[in-house]
Parts: sequence; C-alpha cells; structure tokens
Amino acid sequence: MKTHVFTQKRSFKTIGLIGFLMMSLLAFNPTYGQSEKTTTEIASNARTVKGIISDEKGPLGDVNIVQKGTRNGTVTNEKGEFTFPVKLNTGDVLLVTYLGYETHKIKIKDDTSFIEIVLTEDLIEMIGALDSGKPYKSKRKKN
Amino acid sequence: MKLSLAILLFFWFVKGFTQISDFKHIDFKKADSIALSYPNEDLTNLPELSFKLTSHLNTDVERFRAIYRWVCANIKNDYSLYLKNKHKRERFKDDSIKFKAWNTDFRKRLFNKLLKKKQTICTGYAYLVKVLADLSDLKCEIIQGYGRVSTTDTKNLTLPNHSWNAIKLNGRWYLCDPTWASGIPNPATNRFTFNYNDGFFLANPKLFAVNHFPIEQKWWLLEGENPTFDEFLNAPVIYGNAYKTLELHNTPKYMHHNLQRFQNLKLQYQLKASIDPKDIWLLIDNGFQSKKIKPTSVKLENKSLNIEHQFNRKGFFDVHLYIEEDLISTYTIKVGNN
Repeated sequence: MKTHVFTQKRSFKTIGLIGFLMMSLLAFNPTYGQSEKTTTEIASNARTVKGIISDEKGPLGDVNIVQKGTRNGTVTNEKGEFTFPVKLNTGDVLLVTYLGYETHKIKIKDDTSFIEIVLTEDLIEMIGALDSGKPYKSKRKKN
Repeated sequence: MKLSLAILLFFWFVKGFTQISDFKHIDFKKADSIALSYPNEDLTNLPELSFKLTSHLNTDVERFRAIYRWVCANIKNDYSLYLKNKHKRERFKDDSIKFKAWNTDFRKRLFNKLLKKKQTICTGYAYLVKVLADLSDLKCEIIQGYGRVSTTDTKNLTLPNHSWNAIKLNGRWYLCDPTWASGIPNPATNRFTFNYNDGFFLANPKLFAVNHFPIEQKWWLLEGENPTFDEFLNAPVIYGNAYKTLELHNTPKYMHHNLQRFQNLKLQYQLKASIDPKDIWLLIDNGFQSKKIKPTSVKLENKSLNIEHQFNRKGFFDVHLYIEEDLISTYTIKVGNN
C-alpha cells in the first residue's frame, strides 16, 4: 500500500513536471506569434531601399547587395550607388559583399530607406606554400 | 553510478579525432555533382554562388562539401605569384615597415587576381572557402601556419607559409586543406595542374599534424600534447598520396635515422582501406643511383601495416615508400659500422 502511495506521489510529480514544461512552452510560444504578426503588419509597409557603398578611398562599384536567403540582389554602380530591386520589409537582412572586404549584414529597421556603408578590408596576410609531388632529395656533400 | 558511467562513455565518444569517417553515412555525390556543374561561375557575386552551391543540399557537411569542392575545382594556384611573395617576404622580414607595406600591396593584387582570373595562392583558397561558407551560415575559419612538403627548405622556414581551413560541423571542428587538395604543380614545368585529392577533406588531425603546423595552438585539434616546432621540422616528409591511403602515420616520428649495419628500419601505419601487400615497395637512393626493392618484411593486419627493412651496407640513403605507383613518404637513413 505504502509503495502504491509512493508511486502515485511520483506520478503526480511527473505530471507536474510535464505540466510545467508545457506551460513554459506556452510562455515561449507568444514570442513567435508576435514576430509573425509584426512581419505581416509591416508587409504593407514594404519600401524601396537605396544606398551608397564605399571604402576608405571612396565609392565602390560592383559591390554585391543580396537579400539573405533569397536570390534577390543588385550591384552598385561606379558611384557606389544602388537601388534594391525588390521592396523590403522590416527584419529583412541584406548582405553586402565584395571580395577582399568584410561582409556586412544589414538588418532592415522600421525607418531604413537609405543605407550608407564603408566597407573595411579583410586584413589577412597572404601566404602560400604549394604541395609537391617531387620526391625528397637529400643534399649531399660533393666528393 | 550508472549515470556517471554514461556521462563518461558519452565524453569518450564525443572526444577523439574529428574526421571524415564521422560522416560515413553521407554520400557526397550530390554535393560534388552540384559543385562541378558550375564551372564557369565568376567571383563577382559570392552570395549567389554560395546559394547555388548549397541551396539544394540538406546537411551542413554536404553544403560545406559543395563549396570546398567548387573552390578546389575552379581556383588555380598561381606559382609565379607564390614565388614572388615568398621572395619579397624573405627580403623584407627584418624590415617591419617594408614587410607590412608589401603585405598590404600584395593583398590587393591578390584579391584582384582572384576576382579577375580565379588564380591565387593558399590564403586565397582558404579565404574563398571561408567567405562562401559564411554566406551559407556555416562556421568556418582560416588557419595560418606552416606547411611542409618535400621541397620545403626546413633550415630557413622562419615565416608562416601556408593557410588552410577549419569547419564546424555538428558542433565539432574539422580540418581541410583546399590548396593542397586542388592539385599540384607539374614537377617538370612547375605549371599548376588541377588534380583533386579527396584525402585533405576533413582529414585526420593526427595525420594532418605531420605536415601542418598552425600558429594558434587551438587548431591542432589533437588529444594530448601538440608537436613542437622542432618536432614538426624533423618529421618525415609525407606526400599528397599519403592522405589518400593512410589513416595514420604512426612510426617513425622523425625523418632521419642513424642505424648500424643489419639493423632494421621500422615503419608503422594505419591504412584507410586494405591493400595488397605485394604493391608495397621502397625506392632507395644512395646519391648515385636509386633501386626499387621489396622491404625485408611486410605485415598487414586489420589495416595496420608494419614494414621493416634491413640495411646491409654502409652509406646515406633516401628511402621512399611507394604503394603501387603512389609515393607516400620519405625517410633518410645513415648506416654506419657496428
């Protein structure tokens, strides 16, 4: 009998734990719901984003601007200017890339319509040893 | 008690070397065929390229594989650029201002050449792999350090000369070397030839350590002690083929050995796949002529390969190990009188 009560107590405990976990799931759930809501709300607020990209010397042409996770994108003209071809919503992310420069990630905010970015060079030291298929040859003293 | 045992077992499994065999269940055919289906892409739109290479693949290891394989198949190694850089770096190594100025100038030229001609040297490979991986949300790092091959002048190896990558997959770091995997210069003409070597992809860190010395200690990814620079410089020479055939190069740890006449040189390896012991031979060079001979004894059990060879004559020998036509490793032996 005693054991029976004990198991019952334990199963209550387990149910309590499951309950708590489910509650905590509920507690987290609304955040997802909210962010979805925000996106749909802003969808009507989609806007054209323009900008100018440069490096320390001045405007940079041929810089790639791509919307993350999509194939929407454009490149800057000689003056470093771009107009993103697709209307963007708050929360969208743009990737600004140019070989040899650090990639920039820009999150579109409520008030983003013009972007100005100065790209910084990737300061990496360039080195390179090649592999070789040549058999090793010991240096020998000549007689 | 049971729990602590389980935890212990868990860590025992989780630890250990990270390497390609962790992904035995994955067939890279799809990733490779995607990578090889874009031979004419240029580097002007890296996000688009990264997207094309990875968007149809389901796992991080396959996504990384497609990027790595594309870089290995499309980026040429520029031998003249490599020589020029080597020469200048050595010339300016004691003049920090000139050294820095050269590095800055060279970096710009290198990126320009990579962009316009898809030609580069090691850091360019490692850099491109990292950038393309980053764009697909993979965690990848460039490792700078020393690489040692048969032609490396170990007496004058003072400046870092090589770059490779580490990639984080399922929470663990793995090593790969896109430069050496892409191909080798033709020994006769020094012209670079594409010849993909799969052995450098997620290679065993212990094998990798034989000829890669990272500047940052954390990138050895070894258990136990890391080799010292001296140990690295004195390690045997292993070739690209070693990465195809060997899982581990266990013994010897050093390139050079002093033996007495009738003493044996002992070699011990762990193989990736079983081979026919008859295909193993040594090329022994005494400085005047080379002789192709069968080792005194070859034992192969469960992919564990033990080779012994007895030297009956005095002299100084370069001993090259071959499996079929593939040169695997080299050792130097001085045989003296008893």
